[in-house]
Amino acid sequence: MVRSELVKQSPLRILDASTNGGVGKGNVGVLAARHGVGKTSALVHIATDKLLQGKHVIHVTFASRTVHIIDYYEEIFTEISKVKDLAGAMDLHDEIAPRRTVMSFDQKTTNTAHVIDSLRSRIHSGGFPAELVIVDEFDFLHADLSDLMLFKSFAKEEGLELWFSISLDQEGDFANQPVPVILERHLVNIDILINLRHHPDDGKVHLELVKDHGAKPKDMHLVLDTKTLLISPE
Amino acid sequence: MKVPVEKMRNIGISAHIDSGKTTLTERILFYCGRIHAIHEVKGKDGVGATMDSMELERERGITIQSAATSVQWNDKFINIIDTPGHVDFTIEVERSLRVLDGAILVLCSVAGVQSQSITVDRQMKRYDVPRLAFINKADRTGANPFRVKEQLKEKLGHNAVFVTLPIGLEDKFEGVIDLVNGQAVYFEGEDGTDIKRLPIPAEYEAQYKEWREKMLEELSMFNDELMEMHLEGQDPPVDLIKAAIRKGTLSRELTPVFVGSAYKNKGVQVLLDGVSDYLPAPNEKANWALDQDKGEEKIALEVSDSKPTVALAFKLDDGQYGQLTYVRVYQGEVKKGQELKNMRTQKRFKIGRLIKMHSNHMEDIDYAGAGDIAALFGIECASGDTFCDDKLNVTMTSMFVPAPVISLSIEPVDKKSGDNMSKALNRFTKEDPTFRTYVDPESNQTIVQGMGELHLEVYIERMKREYKAEVKTGMPQVAYREAISEKAEFTYVHKKQTGGSGQYAKIGGWFEPITESDYAFESQVKGGAIPNEYIPSCDKGFREAVKKGTLIGFPVVGVKAVVNDGASHPVDSSDMAFSTAALMAFRETYQKAKPIILEPIMKVAVEGPTEFQGNIFGSINQRRGVIVSSTEDGSFCSVIAEVPMSEMFGYSTVLRSMSQGKAEFTMEFEKYAKVPESVATQLKKEYEEKRKQQNR
Repeated sequence: MVRSELVKQSPLRILDASTNGGVGKGNVGVLAARHGVGKTSALVHIATDKLLQGKHVIHVTFASRTVHIIDYYEEIFTEISKVKDLAGAMDLHDEIAPRRTVMSFDQKTTNTAHVIDSLRSRIHSGGFPAELVIVDEFDFLHADLSDLMLFKSFAKEEGLELWFSISLDQEGDFANQPVPVILERHLVNIDILINLRHHPDDGKVHLELVKDHGAKPKDMHLVLDTKTLLISPE
Repeated sequence: MKVPVEKMRNIGISAHIDSGKTTLTERILFYCGRIHAIHEVKGKDGVGATMDSMELERERGITIQSAATSVQWNDKFINIIDTPGHVDFTIEVERSLRVLDGAILVLCSVAGVQSQSITVDRQMKRYDVPRLAFINKADRTGANPFRVKEQLKEKLGHNAVFVTLPIGLEDKFEGVIDLVNGQAVYFEGEDGTDIKRLPIPAEYEAQYKEWREKMLEELSMFNDELMEMHLEGQDPPVDLIKAAIRKGTLSRELTPVFVGSAYKNKGVQVLLDGVSDYLPAPNEKANWALDQDKGEEKIALEVSDSKPTVALAFKLDDGQYGQLTYVRVYQGEVKKGQELKNMRTQKRFKIGRLIKMHSNHMEDIDYAGAGDIAALFGIECASGDTFCDDKLNVTMTSMFVPAPVISLSIEPVDKKSGDNMSKALNRFTKEDPTFRTYVDPESNQTIVQGMGELHLEVYIERMKREYKAEVKTGMPQVAYREAISEKAEFTYVHKKQTGGSGQYAKIGGWFEPITESDYAFESQVKGGAIPNEYIPSCDKGFREAVKKGTLIGFPVVGVKAVVNDGASHPVDSSDMAFSTAALMAFRETYQKAKPIILEPIMKVAVEGPTEFQGNIFGSINQRRGVIVSSTEDGSFCSVIAEVPMSEMFGYSTVLRSMSQGKAEFTMEFEKYAKVPESVATQLKKEYEEKRKQQNR
């Protein structure tokens, strides 16, 4: 398969189609799941899809070492190229790798304003026209409403999309309700919310669209393949 | 005399430049009774500190080369390996870290944890080296050991615990409070040799109690008995406290922190007690060798004299008595008259003279046991070589040496310098496998190759100072490579009839790109189209051809040459005819195989205060660099990037000026990658011009 087809046939086009074209510039998407379900893999798949479209991606992490995140990107790319039998995978890899960068912060000693300053500095001083910023494992529990608003106005100014992930440690967080408790107060600033939930009946991890801008959320029929860690059609 | 292994200590002293490492080393040597007067670094007496055996280091006040010195403190025999302070000399630093079992991390009370301390500390972490911290220069204006201890926690992630506290600071620094023994320690007499242990002064009683409490709290994690006593409000005995500190230090879960001023002769002896009490003996640290029979599989070594010998030559020194080779004995013993094998050359040799070294004088010994460090005389070898008993086929380091990424032409200014230059080059290439030299057959110039600009600069400096060899240097040249990107077929006939017997060879086949190796050859010739005796001649011709590509004159890598057809003549075919045919076939087909130019890409790590992060990003971006990641940790940031070697010239100056000297960088070779089209065009143009000039 060649690259243009790969982008066209990506299961992420289903996500785009189900959500009126995806998160959109200046908007915020959130991926929520319990620990260890595969949030980072799903985010890295979303990021890799953007990279394949020729776009620049910044991956912000608070929890992991940067090497660990880079490994995720390598693995997801390898999986995609294997599953889709990608032509010229090596060259394509070398072409997209420079368009991704990982920025790691210590959540204890930095605040949102500082993270945004550093992102701006990376974009402008570092000549890196990012179109997607991923904020992995964001601490929604301790964040103020203003934090997400700061991120949103940054995304609007820079014309980029934001994807956050949140780890839900307690079962009670969203056991019986679509919107995780921690996110309730932030929901007003979230444009797309997707829960990544393990369904014991079919043993699969499903992507459940909980909020889609102002529209009624549809069933996307997407799962996270537990073997390849790629987002796939049900 | 046999030294019991549990009484041995192999330690390094590691620090940022100007933290006072050399002064501390000097004091340690002095207090251990081996030298009779203290010389300051950059001393007015012109003698210089003892460990700095090289003039260059003496002048700069820094230590570049490692030297090993044996001293005795009470009942412990300590080998001090002076680790290079500069981070650019990767091989040297890593080699010295390899041979030590523990280290003193010297920090400045004023400057605190600097970026280079972070780099060195990270390297030590990689080699699992337990550390003590010595916060030096407590007498300096602005000294704040408490802040530095916090930085040890924040910036280096150490579980840093004070075991001594300062009595007074800056110009009022008088001595230290020993939290373990509960005493105030003063260092009196001209050189601080007269140690007075007194009760803690009343005004320090509260501070002592506070910090002793904190220390015991941390230590209770490492000893249940101590924890119980502590919880019950009993005062644990000194032995128990020491055992807990030792356990925490060896497991690298605790870093005992000492305070002092080496320059003012305060606190050093207490630190030496710490080395004896808390740093590991050689048998308390795991060491590995690589089994050459099993694809460099790791095998554990045993610190036992009765096992077959494994020793590592970690440093060569050209003294007034000839070549000295410093070795660390990892397993078995090294004895006078013993025969060992050099695993690299596979040659056997006999040990004539075995010595223990102080920087300026030596002591003959008959024997060095497992775990010890000694020096051998007159052994032909290179740094990093492993010496083994005949029964073994193991090496201490991988046989893999990275290819140099930069080269420089050098030319002696006169005949005398020329002779000295050869001697110097001969020595340096033995010391450092990443430093190479050859004579370019075309320009007849001597070329030196290495791992970076600074790497070569230091050798040029050393030539001048140690060998009195003045040389003129050319512009640094990046080690480009050429490669083919497509498969291309060829048929070539080499025919010459010039009276007498002629030359005839016909070969057919193809070239294809490969990634596994630089060059491969395969014959698929059937039915004797090329007679068997001429197949190696084809290989020889191709090998000759790939030495120099026609794009910019650099070696061609990643080529597989396959021959599958050909023809010969009973009289006119020869070895030469076939190798010429192969050479010409390659040159003629090269363009068809879409050749590309590759350049070395360096992995660059820049570290500095966060306020300069934007500048760092910008500087890398300007250099065609790709920022792989950035990490912010409090007020400190580190940026990892991949940058072409050719763009890194002069970067240290640029970085220094844009960060007020607060940011630093290290780099190492990462990979070869294709140069962008615009750069390729420029390189080809330059090569064309150079050739035209030569032809004129």
